[in-house]
Amino acid sequence: MTARRIFPLMLLGAASAIFLYPFVWLVFASLRPRDLTFSGQLPIPFRPQSYADVWDAAPMLTWLLNSVVVGVAAALAVTVSSAFVAFGFAYFRFPGRGVMFASVLGTMMLPAAVTLVPTYLIWNSVGLTGTQVPLWAGNLFGSAFYIFLLRQFMLGLPRYVFEAARVDGASYLGLFWKIAVPLSRPALIIAFIFELKASWFDLMKPLIYLQDAELFTLPRGLKAVVDQFYQGGDPKWEIVLAASVVTTLPLIVVFFFGQRYFLQGIATTGRR
Amino acid sequence: MRTGETRWAYTFLLPWIIGLVLFQAGPMIASAVLSFTDYDLIGAPEFVGLDNYAALAADPRVARAIENTLLYTVIHVPLACVLALGLALLLNQVTGRAAGVFRTVFYLPSMTPTVAVGVLFLFLLNGQAGLLNEVLGVFGIEGPQWTSDPDWMLPGIVIMSLWNLGASTIVLFAALRNVPRELTEAAMIDGAGSWQRFRHITLPMISAALFFVVIVDTIAALQMFDQVYTMYFGTSQAQQTTGDAALFYVVYLFQQGFQYLHMGYASALAWLLFAVIAVITFIQIKVGDRLVHYE
Amino acid sequence: MKRLAVLLLVAISACGGVGSSTSGFTTMGFGLPDEIATTRVDAFKKAHPDIPVTINQGQFDEQAFLSSVASGNPADVVYLPREKIGGYAARGALQPIGGCIGEQAIPTGDYYPAAAAQVQLQGQWYGIPEFYNSVVLVVNDKAAKDAGVDPAKIDTSDWDALADLAAKMTKTSGGTIERLGLHPKLPEFLPLWAKANGADLLSADGTTPHLDDPKVAEALEYAAKLIADQGGWKRVKAFADTFDYFGAGNPFAKDQLGMLLTEQFVVAAMAGVDPDAEITVLPFLGRDGQPVNSVGGNAWAVPKGAKNPEAACVWMKEMTSTETWIAAARARQAKRSAEGKVNIGTYTGNMKADDVIFREIVKPSGRRAYDDAVTVIRSVQQAGFTVPPSRAAAEFTTAYQQAATRVLQGAQPAADSLRQAQAEAVKALGP
Repeated sequence: MTARRIFPLMLLGAASAIFLYPFVWLVFASLRPRDLTFSGQLPIPFRPQSYADVWDAAPMLTWLLNSVVVGVAAALAVTVSSAFVAFGFAYFRFPGRGVMFASVLGTMMLPAAVTLVPTYLIWNSVGLTGTQVPLWAGNLFGSAFYIFLLRQFMLGLPRYVFEAARVDGASYLGLFWKIAVPLSRPALIIAFIFELKASWFDLMKPLIYLQDAELFTLPRGLKAVVDQFYQGGDPKWEIVLAASVVTTLPLIVVFFFGQRYFLQGIATTGRR
Repeated sequence: MRTGETRWAYTFLLPWIIGLVLFQAGPMIASAVLSFTDYDLIGAPEFVGLDNYAALAADPRVARAIENTLLYTVIHVPLACVLALGLALLLNQVTGRAAGVFRTVFYLPSMTPTVAVGVLFLFLLNGQAGLLNEVLGVFGIEGPQWTSDPDWMLPGIVIMSLWNLGASTIVLFAALRNVPRELTEAAMIDGAGSWQRFRHITLPMISAALFFVVIVDTIAALQMFDQVYTMYFGTSQAQQTTGDAALFYVVYLFQQGFQYLHMGYASALAWLLFAVIAVITFIQIKVGDRLVHYE
Repeated sequence: MKRLAVLLLVAISACGGVGSSTSGFTTMGFGLPDEIATTRVDAFKKAHPDIPVTINQGQFDEQAFLSSVASGNPADVVYLPREKIGGYAARGALQPIGGCIGEQAIPTGDYYPAAAAQVQLQGQWYGIPEFYNSVVLVVNDKAAKDAGVDPAKIDTSDWDALADLAAKMTKTSGGTIERLGLHPKLPEFLPLWAKANGADLLSADGTTPHLDDPKVAEALEYAAKLIADQGGWKRVKAFADTFDYFGAGNPFAKDQLGMLLTEQFVVAAMAGVDPDAEITVLPFLGRDGQPVNSVGGNAWAVPKGAKNPEAACVWMKEMTSTETWIAAARARQAKRSAEGKVNIGTYTGNMKADDVIFREIVKPSGRRAYDDAVTVIRSVQQAGFTVPPSRAAAEFTTAYQQAATRVLQGAQPAADSLRQAQAEAVKALGP
């Protein structure tokens, strides 16, 4: 019996080591002098200097702030607008509901790469390429995936609560804002943190829309750092590695605080 | 009263409707129209009929990009699903806090931004000095040149992709937890072995989740971009010294659209991608309908 | 909390509209990594305190540049590799600067001819050259001694002997390269190898590609065989990816390289970190015994749609004037002296500035390797050549570099690969 219990634990432990070691390597390598980047294992000699240098080698702090601003804007925009739309689907019975909801499900399957070029042309025609607006403003119109998630959640809310509020003279907007939103808090948080993560990861949109390094988000900035200090003939791997850690760390922190919501979100929706 | 309610319903739907027209349906139509033009943003678009599609059929780099992308998908998806299922089954063997801790560990790589993943593996996979070959060397295996040998770059990318199993594992683990214990216990009493229990009870019970993981993973694999673009593209130096060995479809679409500003050609590429994903997803759903056991 | 969120959204949308609406101007692709850059920027600021400059640091990024031009919101002046200028000029992404040169009386006759040729297309000027980077052969003395050769006597015009020497200098252990005998820097340096074999990749007027010239194929085949004999491209590339060219752990200090074909700035950087390096710098001789030197460097150019081309023009002039270069070179010399390191000088595109720099500022350091290096670099400057600018420079470069990569990867024989590249080049360059 004990062998049967220990065996899976050992396998899981081994798997954990494999999953964790790249992190350890990354952090250790960023703390080694450059000529031991590849060959060393432990951070010996210990050289934390790269973490001071990285801010001078590239405007990391600006990028970090840009990522925070864009990420929060994107997450907030998509959460509020998706909740708004989801309430429309969850609460009302109206002609055309089936068709409209089918359009939500349909666009969930639409690969983002397909609309890349025309979406760029739209933003270009209103003169907003070269700004951060296209990175989040598209989210003001809701996103199929979150609308679906939030509608499912709102359908589970007890109807009588809404009916009672109606009897008390609440408006539909009031129902949404004062009842549906507070009661859907867990689902809203899931939507918010998943979009925050998606925005923090996004490379394609910043590549397409941003030209000025001062406006870069972290992934775009990290790509510029790689281009210059890994691929570009001016090798400074310790800068590349420290920049990678700086890019990753904030999300790991967010993850530890919001772990419950992440795990619940994935288990119920399959979103990664 | 009822019309008032309908009006309110559509008020709530308004953002979605605007977004649908502006960012989904509109662009789809626009990209279809653009695919019949030659347009570089600097000059005016010029109607060229089916030229872009003809060029696409004859472009050896399109063929290479499709080959790379499909090959990657065909290798990555089954491997990723089997490994994630294995981890989920193992997680299901342990109970309580331990399962939670392991689950968190497995998910951590998924919290690493894709660009950083690309950077990290550029170091780890280096054939001469990277960690992976060092580890293989311990076992007396001379590892291939994962980042510079055109025959081994794709496998290297697959290895990188397998670091990222956390989400699939969590979905499958959640599904396993929902398999009623009575069923497996009853089968055990009937003398079913562990493989038979897995094959005839567990697998059907989680087939919907497994199917979901396969579809989501396939669509994501077909659109692979961030990691490979970080590793092998972006600077002309990186691009010219790797050739087309890591050319993925969306990378090529991006290059055509935003590096060379061939908007018409890129739109044609986008439509081809859409068609391919639609067909593959359709086939998967058809096959899934036969295999998946819905409760 | 929610009100705060709304406020934030409004604030962000307000920020979105911020463009380049100042009276000054912005630069793209230029960084401030060292005193050569900062001294010159300071000189500009001192001379023109009325023109505010915004330096958007970061390396030149082709895709960001083109989309900024396409969206009508580019920087006012951009710092980019000279070989890209012809192609951008032809597609209308850069504007001609003949007017600026006339108004500011920029002395274009002071530039090295090879640098000047690279920033013109069909008789029009599109850029002002900056540095002038020459290619030399850097030899690791220890590797030469191990091979029983006097490093100063290495003669690259004898290709058979060179291949033998490269093989002798190479050290491997199992599948791992420990020392690379000769790094030929392909596919980047294909024009150099072709020239060494007496061939040009492109006609001087930039219209007729000669990639199918058998001499090009011969050169590529030779260089590819060099790599094959030293462990094969896949190993060589992975190994070269681990070279820390500019650091204290550079491949010569770590004995990872026997010979390297490289721009002189690698030597300049080594002089700054490793004054006692045991290296020998030699000219790269073609098979006819004459030095060949493919020169490169960046240039300043003005994108189409720049809001403030006048300020850009003043900037270009100030950054590249003889006085500014001399001030920068002095700052470099002062810094290196203070650190007890060696300075091999600043190699600018401006011949007048170079004359002063190497007559008055750069003094023999007493370190034989670096003092000889200065002589060698200066001696090959006039032999400098470039691939002539063409209207499809990007496509042409891609065609020959990918052809070389295919050969290196073993996917195609040299002649076939170059024939394919020739067809691509003919198509791109048009009738």
